[in-house]
Amino acid sequence: MNELVERRVHLEWRDPKSSYDVVIVGGGGHGLATAYYLATRHGITNVGVFERGYIGSGNSGRNTTVIRANYGIPEAVRFYQRSVDLYRTLEAETERELMHRQKGLLWLAHSETGIRAERARATVNTAFGAHTEYVEPFQIAKICPQLDLDGGGVWPVLGGTYHPAAATARHDRVVWAYAEGAMRRGVDVHQRIAVTGLVRDGERVVGIETATGRVAAGLVLAAVGGHATTLATMAGVRLPIRTHPLQAFVTGHYQLQFEPMVSSGDLLFYISQTARGEMLLGAEIDRQPSYSYRSGHEFLSSCAFRAITLLPFLRDLKVLRQWTGICDMSPDYSPILGETGVPGFCVTTGWGTWGFKAIPAGGEQMAQLIATGETPELIRPFALDRFARDRTMADRGSAGTH
Amino acid sequence: MRLTVDRTTIEARDGDSLLEALLRAGLHPTGGGCLCLAGDCPHCLATVDGVSYVRTCQVAARAGQLVERDHLGGAAPPLWRDAEDLLDARPRETPVRHLHCDVVVIGQGEAGVAAADEARAAGQRVITLDAGAGQEAIGVYPGPRVVARTDEATWHVHPRGEIVIATGAAEIQPVAPGSGLEGLLTARAAERLAAASFDLGRVVAVGTPPAGVAAVQLEGEIVRFCGEQRLEAVIVRGRDGVEHRHSCDTVSLGLGLHPRDALSRMGRGLSVRAVGDAARESNIPPRPRDGIVCPCSRVTVADLDSVWQRGFRELELVKRATLAGTGACQGAACLPHLRSFVRDRGHELQPAFTARPVTRQLTLGEVAAGQHHRATPRTALHDEHTALGAQMDRAGGWWRPWTYGDPMFEYGAEYRAVREAVSLGDVSTLGKFEVAGPDALPLLELLYPTQVSTLRPGHCRYVLLLDERGYVLDDGMILCHDPRRYSLTLTSGGASFAELWIRDWAESRGFDVRLLDQTMALGAINVTGPRAAELLGRAGVNGVTGLPGFACHLAGEVAGVACRILRLSFTGELSYELHHPARDSVALWRRLLELGRDLGIRPHGFQTLLDLRLEKGHIVIGKDTDFDSTPRRLGHEWAVRLAKPEFVGRQAVLRTNRIDLDRKLCGFEMAGPPPDEGALIWSRGRYAGTVTSSAASHVLGKTVLLGWLDLEDGELPAEVVINGHEARRVATPFYDPDGKRARAEVSLSPLLAPPRFDPLPTGSAVAGCNRFSRLEATRIVAVPAALDRLALGPSELGFRLAPDELLLVPSNAHVAIDDPHAIVELDTGFAGAWVAIDEALSFLERACSWPIPTARPAFAQGAVAGLPVKLWLETDRVLFVVPAPFAADFEARLR
Repeated sequence: MNELVERRVHLEWRDPKSSYDVVIVGGGGHGLATAYYLATRHGITNVGVFERGYIGSGNSGRNTTVIRANYGIPEAVRFYQRSVDLYRTLEAETERELMHRQKGLLWLAHSETGIRAERARATVNTAFGAHTEYVEPFQIAKICPQLDLDGGGVWPVLGGTYHPAAATARHDRVVWAYAEGAMRRGVDVHQRIAVTGLVRDGERVVGIETATGRVAAGLVLAAVGGHATTLATMAGVRLPIRTHPLQAFVTGHYQLQFEPMVSSGDLLFYISQTARGEMLLGAEIDRQPSYSYRSGHEFLSSCAFRAITLLPFLRDLKVLRQWTGICDMSPDYSPILGETGVPGFCVTTGWGTWGFKAIPAGGEQMAQLIATGETPELIRPFALDRFARDRTMADRGSAGTH
Repeated sequence: MRLTVDRTTIEARDGDSLLEALLRAGLHPTGGGCLCLAGDCPHCLATVDGVSYVRTCQVAARAGQLVERDHLGGAAPPLWRDAEDLLDARPRETPVRHLHCDVVVIGQGEAGVAAADEARAAGQRVITLDAGAGQEAIGVYPGPRVVARTDEATWHVHPRGEIVIATGAAEIQPVAPGSGLEGLLTARAAERLAAASFDLGRVVAVGTPPAGVAAVQLEGEIVRFCGEQRLEAVIVRGRDGVEHRHSCDTVSLGLGLHPRDALSRMGRGLSVRAVGDAARESNIPPRPRDGIVCPCSRVTVADLDSVWQRGFRELELVKRATLAGTGACQGAACLPHLRSFVRDRGHELQPAFTARPVTRQLTLGEVAAGQHHRATPRTALHDEHTALGAQMDRAGGWWRPWTYGDPMFEYGAEYRAVREAVSLGDVSTLGKFEVAGPDALPLLELLYPTQVSTLRPGHCRYVLLLDERGYVLDDGMILCHDPRRYSLTLTSGGASFAELWIRDWAESRGFDVRLLDQTMALGAINVTGPRAAELLGRAGVNGVTGLPGFACHLAGEVAGVACRILRLSFTGELSYELHHPARDSVALWRRLLELGRDLGIRPHGFQTLLDLRLEKGHIVIGKDTDFDSTPRRLGHEWAVRLAKPEFVGRQAVLRTNRIDLDRKLCGFEMAGPPPDEGALIWSRGRYAGTVTSSAASHVLGKTVLLGWLDLEDGELPAEVVINGHEARRVATPFYDPDGKRARAEVSLSPLLAPPRFDPLPTGSAVAGCNRFSRLEATRIVAVPAALDRLALGPSELGFRLAPDELLLVPSNAHVAIDDPHAIVELDTGFAGAWVAIDEALSFLERACSWPIPTARPAFAQGAVAGLPVKLWLETDRVLFVVPAPFAADFEARLR
């Protein structure tokens, strides 16, 4: 029996209705999780999710599956810790195998400035519910004996933080578990239907236009990646988002021998071993904004070079495949979710490089907002109007890589 | 020849591929599966000399090879073999070769050879890549660039024109129970082995027969392959619907072809053309009925059916739900069957899924070929610091002395030298920028929120740089020479961005200005401490009547070195910043240390500087500020003149100033040890902010801090708790609040007669270099037309770095330039070395991805070995020019 083959999820497709209480644009993790929590937590099931490709075909299926809460500001630490907690029980709740594995994350520092930043990270994490501790090189060697602490003589490891709760899960399976859970409770999910416009009644958004016709909606949630700005423009909402590519690559499959996730702030790469044995490596976003999914050689080459510096054993592993996702970056490196000021139109966007890890908490909180009409405390700091109110959430802890 | 397989020795023949050698010894690399001998299937994988996932059919057998059959039965190989070698950090040298051409042809079968001939006949320069000759193309990238693996190097081929894909077609693999047995060959593989005089035993053929192989031809559909480990028989359902069993030792499978089009699929949008079989439509085999479809991920037809029935109803979802097509062969074996399956169930033939690099696998070491670490620049004083025992650390993007000597013991001594005597600090890392021209003032008025027009010649001022959102980007000084000429300083870490920022605004507004980055060209030494003026008096300041007053600057000669002397203070003590040609840094540093010996002089490191400025409440951008820090939040509203009609960020500052303030950067003092930066600030049990800087103040006898504090009901709390200790919010500066020390009157007139100094060394060495030495050059920024007209002397070289910028070697202070606003400055910030032409070109082929001009002489510039390099190419030699702070790194790379 091949345990990597999905064995249990059953997706039930139905034809679109002409009207839904809630229409969610975008069948990725955030859209589907919102639908799932609307159905399971609030009994709202007259919900239609519209996806222009197949479910999870955007960045939900292109990320590097890191789950962590070691962010840099209290508001973010609380929010992501909620997601870490929800992820931990998601397999049991959905009765689906998501390949969720707690691995622990090492974040390495190579300068005195880096050490100070990591100490600060440990402090704010621990105070707001995410366990992160400062670790010395001898402790780092125990957590990850494969590391060359001398950094090839160029980037010695001088210290770091360890975040034991960090985990990974298989991205597609998270998408499917939410899709199935929502569908089973009556939510409609539609693939290959692109939303081409929004229907307005005065200021209010009252539906969507699709290639197959108009669909009325009590509320429309934009949960799309990349083109969130385009969709929001149709509602007259200007989003402060720039979209940048983020690349990653994997090696072939090897025996499961590499336990933790490792990240280096100065060398700007991170690495983990997937459940099927690939070494998965990523780096920072491309500086040039773009919607392109095209992969570049410079990224592959330079990321491999940097990773080998700290983990020499990687040198002889074979690269299997590289790919690109795109990241919606907000000016303060924090997400934007909630009401937009336009009645009937909400957004969940600005998921930058932290979208996958935020799926459960983002979905849960958006569902609560939609169901109650009240913005929950946990996501109040991330409302769109923070830019107008000069209450931005600058987070250096998230301004990095994954 | 002999090689070792799983610790036993086998014999191999010359000219055999490794796969052939294994088969001759009766060893199937993976234990079974249909072999193609063409690099397509995953059945011949093995670990060779420590590298797994090697396609043994693509590798020549070599004496002494160490082969391990780690992939037997589809097993995963180990990540590392020998824990002892785990931390072996010795690099395996994989060179890169950059090759330039008009057309690259990938594949040298019939169609590839024809395409190459055709292009050559049309006068084009052609490079061919032939997997059969060990040149495996692994990806087509934007550029365009084709990356290929060879045993000798990783090739980067840069075609100006077309990429021709002539990779041919792969043979379709069988899907039926027993497809994992030994004894299955594609028809072409059977032909090749027969030609290499393999004994294939009794051969039966299904589909296209193998040429030149005696085989019993079978008609119909394969039901199953029978046998335990080795093939014993094949069962075929004939046209009559009856199953027939045929005993055999080998089955040859000619099941159709599908194009090797992964490179074409990943090259969409680039100038890529497929020819020959690579351009053909794929044969779609009959729908798979039973058995393994994807051998890499061990996915069966039943698995496909299972996910299909549960709603995974398109090719991508089937792939993702089963992971079929995501293994070592990236779908080469299974894709035609997957498409056939989806067509059968979904009644629609879907296109092949997206291809991503890499198509053929190479190691991380091989892809990393040609890469270098991000070099950290060194100031001209780097070796002076290390000789003094400094611990060097990376800060603000530069190597800087963190402390000198024993950090516990010496630390206090550095601090005391500044507060009580005199000290030197290397501030060469500061960004330094020159602005000249009729629009110099309008540009600076736009960029800076201060009223620049009130800054008089000879004066300087602290300034903030804001972005359009009103957030603080950077800070620094403006020095006014005259209203048409200014110098700017920028922070060490922010300078490179700030330069882009300044140039961007100048260009977008069309300002008539000349801009010159002098960060590398100028060294800077901060002479600080109550006895700083005394030291400068000893060093002798020539050419001026006195030292500059506070917030003033002037040009003069200090200790025999031409300097721009700025009087300002970051440490809180009397301070003079000496900006001087980088060439002279070492002489100036040594002379000042020598002259100040009996004054108690010693240099201070960056750690001490951070504490000194903290006592003065001076912020460090990026440390005390966040990327959404407004002047108001920083308490720096005094640095913003809103009455000015326009400056970048003004609208945002006006807008946000109308909103209630939420948090502010404040000063605190407390008893007890200094908390870590990042420590939390609590007010009445509630989180109220974080500490950004902290230090135990020697002179004040208490801990002083800067930190972010939230307002409560519009008020800043006065008492807070940090690390369990009471802390009190206080006004800054903590130390010398009236600035009496920094602004102290200096009565040092007349200056002491300057002592005699030896003549300054010229053509001087650069820290850490043997081959490179400092260039004496003149840097000219002027309108392009003036540079076009510039007549060079016979021994002068003029490198046009930009349309408005010229580097003149050797230096010529009297160069006549027809632009009244031209900036003409001595520039000793570059290092150069002559290299013989052969060595240079061989190095450039490895280290330079762009084409080198063929004319001689020629000037060229760009990234070489990861660093900004300028080249002057003569017939028999090449001058390499690099910024001196990177010269040591470049020299190490120039091998």
